[in-house]
Amino acid sequence: MLTSQPTLLVGPSDWDAGIMPKQEFHRRIEALWRACPAATCAIVYGDRVNHAELAYFTNLVPKLEAAVAILSASDEHTIYVGGGPNMIGAARPLTWIWELIPLRGGQAIGRRAVESKAGTTAVPILVGGGYMSTALRQAIVEGTGGSAPRDETAKVWTLMRRATDYDGLAMYNAGVALGVAIDAIITACKKGAGVTDAILGGERAAYDNGAQDVRTLFSLNGGRTLQPFSAPTDRRLDPLQVYVAVRRFNYWAEGFYITSSRPQPALNKARELLRLALAAIKPGVDPASVEKLVVAAMKPYRCHPVTERALVSRIGIALEEPPCANASAALEPGEFCSVRVGITDEAHNHAIVSAMIRVRDEGLDVFWSGVPKPIKGSPP
Amino acid sequence: MNFAERLADIRARMQEEKLDLILGVHDGGHFIEKPNPVMVLSGFKSLGPTAALLHADGAIDLIVTPHWETDRAADACPDARVVGAHDVVDGALAKIKTSAVVGTTGLRGLPYDLASRLAAALPSALSADKLVFDAARTKTLDEITNARAAAGIAERGFERLLKIARPDMTEDELAVELKWYMKTLGAEDNFLLLCASPHNPAVQPSTGRRLQAGDIILAEITPSYRGQLTQICRTAVIGKPSNELASKYRLVVHSMDEGIAAARPGVAMSEVCRAINAVLEAEGYGEYCHPPHIRRRGHGLGFGSVRPGDVALDNTTVLEPDMLFMIHPNQYLPETGYLLCGEPVLLTERGAEPLTQEKAALGTIGIQD
Repeated sequence: MLTSQPTLLVGPSDWDAGIMPKQEFHRRIEALWRACPAATCAIVYGDRVNHAELAYFTNLVPKLEAAVAILSASDEHTIYVGGGPNMIGAARPLTWIWELIPLRGGQAIGRRAVESKAGTTAVPILVGGGYMSTALRQAIVEGTGGSAPRDETAKVWTLMRRATDYDGLAMYNAGVALGVAIDAIITACKKGAGVTDAILGGERAAYDNGAQDVRTLFSLNGGRTLQPFSAPTDRRLDPLQVYVAVRRFNYWAEGFYITSSRPQPALNKARELLRLALAAIKPGVDPASVEKLVVAAMKPYRCHPVTERALVSRIGIALEEPPCANASAALEPGEFCSVRVGITDEAHNHAIVSAMIRVRDEGLDVFWSGVPKPIKGSPP
Repeated sequence: MNFAERLADIRARMQEEKLDLILGVHDGGHFIEKPNPVMVLSGFKSLGPTAALLHADGAIDLIVTPHWETDRAADACPDARVVGAHDVVDGALAKIKTSAVVGTTGLRGLPYDLASRLAAALPSALSADKLVFDAARTKTLDEITNARAAAGIAERGFERLLKIARPDMTEDELAVELKWYMKTLGAEDNFLLLCASPHNPAVQPSTGRRLQAGDIILAEITPSYRGQLTQICRTAVIGKPSNELASKYRLVVHSMDEGIAAARPGVAMSEVCRAINAVLEAEGYGEYCHPPHIRRRGHGLGFGSVRPGDVALDNTTVLEPDMLFMIHPNQYLPETGYLLCGEPVLLTERGAEPLTQEKAALGTIGIQD
């Protein structure tokens, strides 16, 4: 889900070898060379907003300025860190790569990428090139000698879908923090808290449980539309539709939830549809077919605009990982997804609920869900 | 000035430049130093990539992504024709007649994927960055009101820092707590640079380093209130400050005072920087008044326009009433390391009015034996 992007990231992001050991990063880089056999090095870009690929290979989530990693097939990796020499110290704890150099324009990066090793011709590839500013990209291309390196970002997205147990542990931790945040919101609402107190109470609970970042959306009109925090309000709302995304160890978990003291027909229907969607998900299934199934059972409601074309969305280091939403690629074992069902009668009844899942060989794990009772067929 | 008057100014400039349309685009990646033409033209702070099209007749089209953001955009910009789109470039181009003379703004801040598509689709478009951001060089009454509120939040944030910072807490924990606390006060975003060390080389983003007795904590506290950023720069020490640290901090504050005194309507911004440097140069710190030690002594405050730009020797912008900017000496001194000291100021007919209630002073954090 797209949420407000902070102007500066502040949460705990230091590399923790106990969570993501160096050999896991080496494995990922080796997989990159297998996917791109002609490449001798990769220029990998990331900034505050778009950094999933950079973090996947280096653990580095740039908090302030952009960074560019040069990954070498000969294992001599370097990261160019934006913001000048004084930013090196702040970047060092964020990554396992030791060689950090101030980023001073793109030409030096391009030149470094095409440095020949032992008489071989260097063949650089680009990852995350679409996120760069035009000026930086042009300078890098100039540095390489003029011909633009091939952009292989899509191949990295494919690699990222094949989650390992390390990814899984981080995701489950994010899911736990998400659950704590949602529980705190529910408790606050039951105690009569206003919207701001409830939402910020949830954010606080997530941070207290080690969250690196928390982003929230909520509805002031019974779930018809969602909005980010813009100013405090002590309005008490029943029902209160919320969206919470929690990041931990660089990985995101997200959830839609409605808290209400009264029966909500739309909520019950949305939960029923979510169960239907989850029951249909298994390896080899096309997310679009799951959406079709849900939409067919949706009457008298129609799809909520927030979840339109976004019923099954891959999630991990990025809050929404390409191929986004209901892309045609069939689900694979090991993938992490957010499954969202939103419905509306376009009048007064609206509801969005979701679940965090991991696709398994025989079905799926549900490790957070907006449905209160255990879902049939899923492990506890 | 109000928002409508600013738009009228932009339209007058469009007429001079013979533009039929200005297309402002922002990717939703809000950053303190990245001007946001969509906010200038519409007042809307978007979640995703968004385009604002200002026509010569004053009509405004606002193309928003994600498409479900239309209601919020319409609330923020009631006079605009708001369209939700799945793709901002396609949505914006659908609104542009092929014969129109188009000025574009914000393209330099866009990621290549967006910028290259727009550049290819509008090969003869002119840059309207200067036109739009010059018109937004002074703040509207609403922006000034919001800046005052943000300054109050920042000051309370620093009070909170002095109250809760303690040895063994990590920089990240302190930064997260402060950001959360200021959100409870109304800050929807915050550029919060915070770090600590007995001798800081610079101010940096927080890490997992644990605070220790004797640390000097640097904090650039920059809450945004209703889309308007305001900053204070503060320094605090854990434990009793040395006489030298206290003395050097007074020197930096004095240099800031001289900068504030120099900021008056009709004066070039470079003179503000010169006034700050003069105090430090007189004390023998001339070599630390220039790159690589220091690049600027302050800056404009977005998220909309970042005019009047940096407080720097090469900024010849002439100051005018209702300009809003930071004056922060933020100086590295060899005896103490980097020290942060800065106030947000509003230019008035009488000079620079700090928006803070209390001027920067070295904060102290008591530690129990």
